[in-house]
Amino acid sequence: MKTVPKKYILMFALTILYAATSQAQIAKAEIRATGLTCSMCSNAINKQLKSLADVENVEIDLNTNTFTVTLKDNNSLKPSVFKENVEKAGFFIGSLILTVKPEMIKNNDYIIVKGKENSAKELQIQVLDKGYVTDKEFKKLVKFYKNSETFNNNNEADFHIKILN
Amino acid sequence: MPSVTLKSSDNKEVNIASFQGKYILIDFWASWCGPCRLGNKKLVKLYATLNPSKIEIIGISIDTDQNKWLKAIDKDKIFFLQLLDPKGFDAKTALRFGVDDLPSKFLFNDKGILVLKNPTDEQIINLIN
Repeated sequence: MKTVPKKYILMFALTILYAATSQAQIAKAEIRATGLTCSMCSNAINKQLKSLADVENVEIDLNTNTFTVTLKDNNSLKPSVFKENVEKAGFFIGSLILTVKPEMIKNNDYIIVKGKENSAKELQIQVLDKGYVTDKEFKKLVKFYKNSETFNNNNEADFHIKILN
Repeated sequence: MPSVTLKSSDNKEVNIASFQGKYILIDFWASWCGPCRLGNKKLVKLYATLNPSKIEIIGISIDTDQNKWLKAIDKDKIFFLQLLDPKGFDAKTALRFGVDDLPSKFLFNDKGILVLKNPTDEQIINLIN
């Protein structure tokens, strides 16, 4: 009987692993925006978000001043896409809470600073980096995480997250 | 001036073009828009000083919640015409006027031609006198 060479088994395993991680994704983003003027009084953020290819729907909750963005399956968006587009519309992010597949935060770009990985099917995470919280909150966070090397690096490719569920 | 028929706060169907023959100021707002609510109070004061045979002020709200709209009208003591197009920024009238920010004002002259966008009180007074 012929045996399958070990390297093929390894390649096969890697392919499966790759397929699994490529599905790692953000399902939903809840964005609270801030700025000099009333963020909900402008249609700019809504329009900007809706123009993105991976955006399925944008809902606006006027009671909580939140934009809830539903994203298409199998997208590979990074949290930075929300920051960039809210800023493009002339506003800033006050808070960003993402609903994600647990595999996503296993990626090296994500650093958990609060909360624990758990068995939930979807995780709710908040991004705590500069530009993802209010300036006032960020100042507090810098003091709190002063011993974290990466938090104070302000590397834009690193996302420091708090797991909420 | 676009011919748009909407429901008023006293439950009548009103076409905004039916007031043509005098200046018409269209004010887009919503109850949840803070700057609009401040603007309402200023507009109420301004309207009281204007000659109603020369100008009509029409508020168009894009509130999705009719009760919140009616409450706001009551609270801000607005006594000029109030119409509702209850679909947020997707409201047909808002799209037709190209409203992307609240508040937004459009001043039409007696011939129904748009003469100013977001005019100041002074500009309005100077134009109609």
